[in-house]
Amino acid sequence: MTEIIIPLIFVTVLVIAAIRKKDSYSAFTEGSRGALSLMANVFPYLLTIMMAVEVFKQSGLSFYLSKAVSPVMNLMGIPSELTELMLVRPLSGAGAIGILEKVYSTYGVDSYIGRCASVIYGSSETVFYISTIYFSQSNVKKLGYAIPVALFATLAGCITGCAILRVM
Amino acid sequence: MSKVWYIMLLGSVSALLFTNPGQAVTAMIAGSHAAVKLAIELAALYGFWLGFFGILEKTGIADFLSRLLRPVVKFLFPGINETGRKYVTMNMAANLLGLGNASTPMAIKAIKEMDTGSTRASQNMIMLTVISATSLQLLPTTVIGLRATHGSASPADFLLPATVATVLSTIIGITLVKLIGLLFRKRGENREHKKEKAALQAPCRGLLRGSRRSQ
Repeated sequence: MTEIIIPLIFVTVLVIAAIRKKDSYSAFTEGSRGALSLMANVFPYLLTIMMAVEVFKQSGLSFYLSKAVSPVMNLMGIPSELTELMLVRPLSGAGAIGILEKVYSTYGVDSYIGRCASVIYGSSETVFYISTIYFSQSNVKKLGYAIPVALFATLAGCITGCAILRVM
Repeated sequence: MSKVWYIMLLGSVSALLFTNPGQAVTAMIAGSHAAVKLAIELAALYGFWLGFFGILEKTGIADFLSRLLRPVVKFLFPGINETGRKYVTMNMAANLLGLGNASTPMAIKAIKEMDTGSTRASQNMIMLTVISATSLQLLPTTVIGLRATHGSASPADFLLPATVATVLSTIIGITLVKLIGLLFRKRGENREHKKEKAALQAPCRGLLRGSRRSQ
């Protein structure tokens, strides 16, 4: 079902272009022209974040930090085994995938913890990454309350998701 | 963001200083390597999706979609201009379809369009960030695929709570941004009221004083 949606949209768009007698080829070229300069703008931010996230993981600091906050997580109904996932998720998508796979192989995919991890990963985003990349082509330096609000909303969603799983 | 980054980096490198100092630079360079790899991958994805958006724009489909979602976008982003609205619509559509990498270039363009030269993020910019960050994703395809490869009996079993979680987080996010925006506006108005009152009172006081003197 999901596999068919995107190609279907594609075909529809191409057919509409033909009906309206527009040149898809030149439109595509024109659109993708800005991609490399966009990347050039995004790249320094990408490197700055990923460099720090990698040391954060490899130094074991993320592991100890999750140990320290896990009682708080437990109190909110999120299994303490998933604290590191919650901690890394807003920082790095690839890092969180690695932790998710580890959770699956350690506790089992269909266990409560495994399903909780799926909900947490599936309903959250790389908040820090997004908020840095989005502003890479603007003058904005101060993001105001964007990150706290996004993190709080995500946390509330995850708590609810885990609570629903408990009664399911 | 810069504070979080600074604390994370300082903490991590200091921790490695005591445990394994040789690993510090290796890890940081490994992270930079990963960034270059991701950048090349993203350049391809951005190029592809921006090209596709080029067709959407040329055929007028982008305008049509933007007009269709106009009431929603106008409510969420008051005072947004025509081009910005188009980008925001595309960003939200891509997010809904679970195409995170297609939504990013649209968001960057939308924010550029909203930019007024100020260094402080406007409420509309914050709204866009929060909506994307709470990811109203209807089909978390990555997780379903991962669960299947790990031999799950029912890979889509978590969809209901995940959907509730993501809808709830998006609603909370939107409400909070709107509320905080209202709060700031009220505070701003109060300040202006005080100024106006002071401005009004000053000449009155002068008059009173003047009349007293004449008596």
